Amino acid sequence: MSEPASKIESQKEIKQIKDMGLDQGVARLTPEKIEKVVNEVLENETGARLKAYVESCVHCGLCSDACHYYVSRKDPIFSPAAKVKQTLWEILEKKGKVSPEFIRRAAEVAYTECNLCRRCAMYCPFGIDVAYMMLTMRRICHKLGVTPQYIQDTAHSHSATMNQMWVKEDEWVDTLFWQEEEAQEEIPGLRIPVEKEGADIMYSVIGPEPKFRAQLIYQAAVILNAAGADWTMPATPGWDNSDMAMYTGDNEMMARLKKEHFETATRLKVKRIVMGECGHAFRSVYDMGNRALGWKMPPVPVVHALEYYYELFRAGRIKVAKKFEKPVTLHDPCNVIRGRGLHEMTRYVVNKTCENFIEMTPNREHNYCCCAGGGVINCGPPFRDKRVVSNSVKADQISATTKKGVEVVIAPCHNCHGGLEDIIHHFGLGVELKFLGDIIYEVMEKPE
Amino acid sequence: MATVEFKGKSFDVDEDGFITDYNQWNEEWVEYVKEQEGIDEMTDEHKLVIKVLQEYYEKNGIAPMVRVLSKLTKFKLKHIYELFPSGPGKGACKMAGLPKPTGCV
Repeated sequence: MSEPASKIESQKEIKQIKDMGLDQGVARLTPEKIEKVVNEVLENETGARLKAYVESCVHCGLCSDACHYYVSRKDPIFSPAAKVKQTLWEILEKKGKVSPEFIRRAAEVAYTECNLCRRCAMYCPFGIDVAYMMLTMRRICHKLGVTPQYIQDTAHSHSATMNQMWVKEDEWVDTLFWQEEEAQEEIPGLRIPVEKEGADIMYSVIGPEPKFRAQLIYQAAVILNAAGADWTMPATPGWDNSDMAMYTGDNEMMARLKKEHFETATRLKVKRIVMGECGHAFRSVYDMGNRALGWKMPPVPVVHALEYYYELFRAGRIKVAKKFEKPVTLHDPCNVIRGRGLHEMTRYVVNKTCENFIEMTPNREHNYCCCAGGGVINCGPPFRDKRVVSNSVKADQISATTKKGVEVVIAPCHNCHGGLEDIIHHFGLGVELKFLGDIIYEVMEKPE
Repeated sequence: MATVEFKGKSFDVDEDGFITDYNQWNEEWVEYVKEQEGIDEMTDEHKLVIKVLQEYYEKNGIAPMVRVLSKLTKFKLKHIYELFPSGPGKGACKMAGLPKPTGCV
């Protein structure tokens, strides 16, 4: 049996973090089961892509300096190449004959030490996509039943309710009516049109918005109303565009979720889907989930909030009453910036709405990750300290902007919000955190 | 897992600062979280939010939607955030002794 790779790679042994999902899952494994599942996944679900990645890596180490874990910790165990070494390379070399202890460490690497942000893929001379390899490792872990407890709970919620936070159907509709009512106190006549067949736009959100952050639905309604958009929200499951099943390795569930989402849009006969400020959900509808279903591009065009805001400001459909005064900086989320190239559109909107915009360095597609994405924050409290201390580079990046006067960080992604909130608190950075929609809502001209 | 000692009581907490055993919840915990969250003064309104969260959790094993919390307390969404600036899922659930909610929060 192979040694856990952590012992091979690093002089300092990495402390194993207790997690009920991982620990109990591993306790049920046998070497025979591991070998069978590994080879099933490798033979049936991977092909030339994995082979090309594995065979073209020359161990140059350029990926190390691209990774916020490595840059923050300076421990070679956190280099992207080392993460592959602790997971797939070893598995391929041993043809699946690895021990349950090896799988335990490999799962912790794949789920909690990589955000799938793909910054390293950009710096790799061969463009090797380590995120794909970590996802392949997660796929194996999912099929072995070795997944962190908190994110697995979220995947369970997806499969039971088709949303990520156990929101029941009546509670969802009730929340929309409630936010419509509250918004009408500010803007009489405002509507959140539910189930409007033939509308131009279906607006979709992620579970945390109705569950706890309903003000984001309120604000979106104010923006869409002021812009005169013809829009609707569904009353049925399919309203949640998020997808933690994509990150546990449950590809079947990922496909079911996306199918529900696209079918809901089709049932409502909308021309396109506009989604809120969420990064991973965008990846799931624009890249992974649609492809799992056999569509290269989404069957109904999907527009991320950042692109939609740009469209509204460009066309003059939202007017600014008074620009946001406090100096702001912008954190570029991986999935919509590196993944979709919305950086210039986002800056257009920030400049339209804010007096004083100061870039953080590096920025745009070179920005460092929040260290919460890729499902890492969803793995919950057991891994919280690790993701915070593994992103001191983000704290440095933000504190360099506060020295230039920045008081507010705009982070247009839910996961980035969660991650940055912890970093700001832990490193005592003393800045506020906002969604771009928060700023737009605050500065826009609102109808009487 | 860490332990918090406060006013002679001790609490097992996870890395997000939520208590891991609901049975350890008591008035000292409320006071501790109040300081952590930077809440100036505990009012009857804070106490009502805590009571509603706990009753719902004891019955359902999960934190309620903010809509349900609003219905049962008669507080508007904005007011809930005024009472608990870090929100119902973080500040209020933490003070009430509920586990950290799962999902993108």
